[in-house]
Amino acid sequence: MKDMKENNFLAKWLANEISETELKKHLSEGEVRIYKKIVSHSNQLEAPHFNAEEALKKLNLKNSRTKVKKMNFTKFMYKAAAIIVVVFASYYFIGNQSQNYTTSFAQKITFDLPDKSTVNLNADSEVKYKKRNWKNNRYLSLKGEAYFKVAKGSKFTVKTTLGNVTVLGTQFNVVARNNYFEVVCYEGLVSATYKNNTIKIPAGSSFKVINSKTKFEKTVTASGPSWIQNNSSFKSMPYWYVISELERQYNITIEFNNTLSNNLFTGNFTHNNLKNALKAITIPFNLNYTFVTNNKVRLN
Amino acid sequence: MDINKNTNYCNEKIFSDFFINQSKLLNNYIFYKCGNSNLASDIVQDAFLKFWSNCKKVIPGKAKSFLYTIANNLFLNEYSKSNVVLTFKNSQTKNYTNESPEFLLEEKEFGVKLQRAISNLSEAQRVAFLMNRIDGKKYKEIAEILEISVKAVEKRIHKALLNLRSEIENL
Repeated sequence: MKDMKENNFLAKWLANEISETELKKHLSEGEVRIYKKIVSHSNQLEAPHFNAEEALKKLNLKNSRTKVKKMNFTKFMYKAAAIIVVVFASYYFIGNQSQNYTTSFAQKITFDLPDKSTVNLNADSEVKYKKRNWKNNRYLSLKGEAYFKVAKGSKFTVKTTLGNVTVLGTQFNVVARNNYFEVVCYEGLVSATYKNNTIKIPAGSSFKVINSKTKFEKTVTASGPSWIQNNSSFKSMPYWYVISELERQYNITIEFNNTLSNNLFTGNFTHNNLKNALKAITIPFNLNYTFVTNNKVRLN
Repeated sequence: MDINKNTNYCNEKIFSDFFINQSKLLNNYIFYKCGNSNLASDIVQDAFLKFWSNCKKVIPGKAKSFLYTIANNLFLNEYSKSNVVLTFKNSQTKNYTNESPEFLLEEKEFGVKLQRAISNLSEAQRVAFLMNRIDGKKYKEIAEILEISVKAVEKRIHKALLNLRSEIENL
């Protein structure tokens, strides 16, 4: 109803300007119930601790340093020399520092690089790069998994302990975890080096190295990796990898029979419902799962 | 707090009182924007330092908006675009003794979904919503701080609720 949209009726209800009865005239029972639940849960949230008195004391320490002192000329000259050296050294130091992005378990982030390329970082992963001279030196290191959308420009290199990936301007996903290295190219052209071999990976194809066996496929039809949409999908992947990805997304540990480690799994699991995810990976192998503790699961 | 034409923020006592009065809410505000409590407390410190060094320029009655302007600019300068993930402390005042484990788990899951959904709101909607829910600010007060109309605040809160519900339902 156009009326109601202009009225921002949910905001008015939240501020007690219209009653719940009035709200129920325009929404279903279920919707009203959820809004009430949202309100009651959000009422329990607390902002981070902040002690104003302590913060003020800290501030005063810094404050006194900004007071101006009188100094004579020679002292000034020495200080000037020192300041120049410090400024020069700090420019070099600051300019040369690495920029790090790290995700922990059950965490994903997205960030921009200085040239507006974007990086989606999956759980338990890390990207490091130097900001200075980025446009001419697009070189970063990756541990874990990330999806890159690279802006056109100079050569862009992703370095991992398992191999390197180089592109000119494209979209691709890289996994470098333990003994699994995978590059999937969604757009453009990517070249990967693995153990001194260089492999070209055009759009719609992937290159994988599992347990030291390499596999090149031209069967990628998706427009991007599914983990960005909070779903992990696998095609003929060793079970140990599927399990470790589930552990990363939900920050739990899973015990299972090692004889299953290298069985191949095809399927997917959601990142938003642990029970469904566990069902998705156990049913195909006729397994059951039990919660040993809140974040430890055993498969049998 | 007494605001008269002679309020001089270069006076340490007046500045300190101003700090004690405003710092926690400013800290909350920056936290709502970025979800990082360390960054928030750093920006609060830097904002007050900058305020102090510009104390002569402060127009009486406009001190708070000057402070927030400084903080917003520092935030824009410092903050590289990474995804926002807020984690709150839950006060959990309810005592669930008779509830089934399934209910408790559902409640906990709802709480997690809600926090994620809050993190995924646009910054504008999230800040308005949390200033109202956690800081307890009325729409008029939010409008003054953010320098927008009351209607604009209502719109952000309305959209925030809509988006929270739709994201929670889709999970």
